[in-house]
Amino acid sequence: MIVTWQVALRVAILILLGVVLQLSFFSEIELLGSSPDVLPVIAVALGLLGGGVVGAVCGFALGLLTDSLLLQTLGVSSIVLLTVGYLAGRWRESFDITSALVPPLLTAALALFGATMFAAIQLMLGVEAPVSLLVVREIIVKALLAGLLAIPIYPLVRIVLRPALVDDARRGGRRRRSLIQIRAA
Amino acid sequence: MYRKQVRRRRAVLVALVIVSLILLSLSFSEAESGPIHSIQRGVASVFGPIEEGAGRALKPVRDLINWFDETFDARGENDRLQDELSELRSDQIDAEAVQSENEELRKALDFKTNAGIQGYEQVTSRVIARSPTVWYSQVTIDQGSSAGVERDDPVVTGDGLIGKVSDTTAGQAQVTLITDHRSAVSARILPEGPLGVVKPEVGDPDDLLLDFIQEDREISRGQRLVTAGSTASDLESLFPPGIPIGEVTKADIQAQDTYQQVHLKPFADLRDFDYVQVLTGGPE
Repeated sequence: MIVTWQVALRVAILILLGVVLQLSFFSEIELLGSSPDVLPVIAVALGLLGGGVVGAVCGFALGLLTDSLLLQTLGVSSIVLLTVGYLAGRWRESFDITSALVPPLLTAALALFGATMFAAIQLMLGVEAPVSLLVVREIIVKALLAGLLAIPIYPLVRIVLRPALVDDARRGGRRRRSLIQIRAA
Repeated sequence: MYRKQVRRRRAVLVALVIVSLILLSLSFSEAESGPIHSIQRGVASVFGPIEEGAGRALKPVRDLINWFDETFDARGENDRLQDELSELRSDQIDAEAVQSENEELRKALDFKTNAGIQGYEQVTSRVIARSPTVWYSQVTIDQGSSAGVERDDPVVTGDGLIGKVSDTTAGQAQVTLITDHRSAVSARILPEGPLGVVKPEVGDPDDLLLDFIQEDREISRGQRLVTAGSTASDLESLFPPGIPIGEVTKADIQAQDTYQQVHLKPFADLRDFDYVQVLTGGPE
């Protein structure tokens, strides 16, 4: 991904929009006894499209903003989402995305990992109440919902970042060249 | 070139992890009035109106999605309610018989519903944001210190207690719900009144635990709990007495325990509420 200031601005707007929507919309929806979490979905999409560094930086920003707005302990969501974004980016740098199923499945797996990491950090910081086994169900349902949300959100993020994507630019260039050749013929 | 990229990538990752850990330890150990919390409150104040606007604009979509989910749940609920209805019919006959006796007991106990909230002012607020995880049971409301809302003010809905104000900015406040792992509310079981502390079970918003009830006290299903409003040092309460909390669903006595653990279902639906009342001021 080629990061220009225009692209950085688009990413910043995407992050702001994602956090605001999460807190005032997605957190208030109840599906299968849980509420969907769009933040790991955005972190994974940005990591998959931009690579490890972009994924980590954007994950960190998503987490920092969320913790700030909710007046929660700073750093908890940041460290979780930066890890999720970085791992998604490393996947992109190591393997080709050969199937349309890869983004949702990877999102579900990384959301599961992120929610487990979040729970582990909370337990390390000290939970003063008994923990119900329903937390496990909550983590699994959140991961499933994240996988489903990735189906529309990954292409949307791709559209937002299209000017910066090398693959899309090449493909677009080839398409333009072939159109010129057809017209010339 | 590639090695340089790898080095840069690792440096960025390590730097971000270190910054996160520093923020975490500073934020965790810092007092509520410290600089990090002040910056957080500043950021939250700036974004408050945006969150409120987004919440209002998207309410119809949210309600539609929740309607589908509730309709799906209602199928199972219908069967359960049919059974409950026939049970309640027989209970009603019994209830009428004990009603006069109940009234007499209420007089004896000098208990009036919500008696404890007399002298408090009620500030009606709308929920504008909610924490996405079960680990922080918190909501943000659209009234803050400029409306007289203060830290530790009790927060209720029409059904009962839901939590207390844990932080405020000028235009909004953070409410920590009674299902948050840091919550503890001293409570009294009606009508006899053994005292205990209501704590949450993290991950299950429909289940609260009442601790520190002596094992020889008889607790039965359906008994109601209200805030104790106690000022005793071991069970000190921020909440006024008499606010409904929930009803007993079961009581467990663990082996080798001197206390029994009482499970209760909160009266308020802690996952689905849009408006709350903050009880501010209070009697002198």
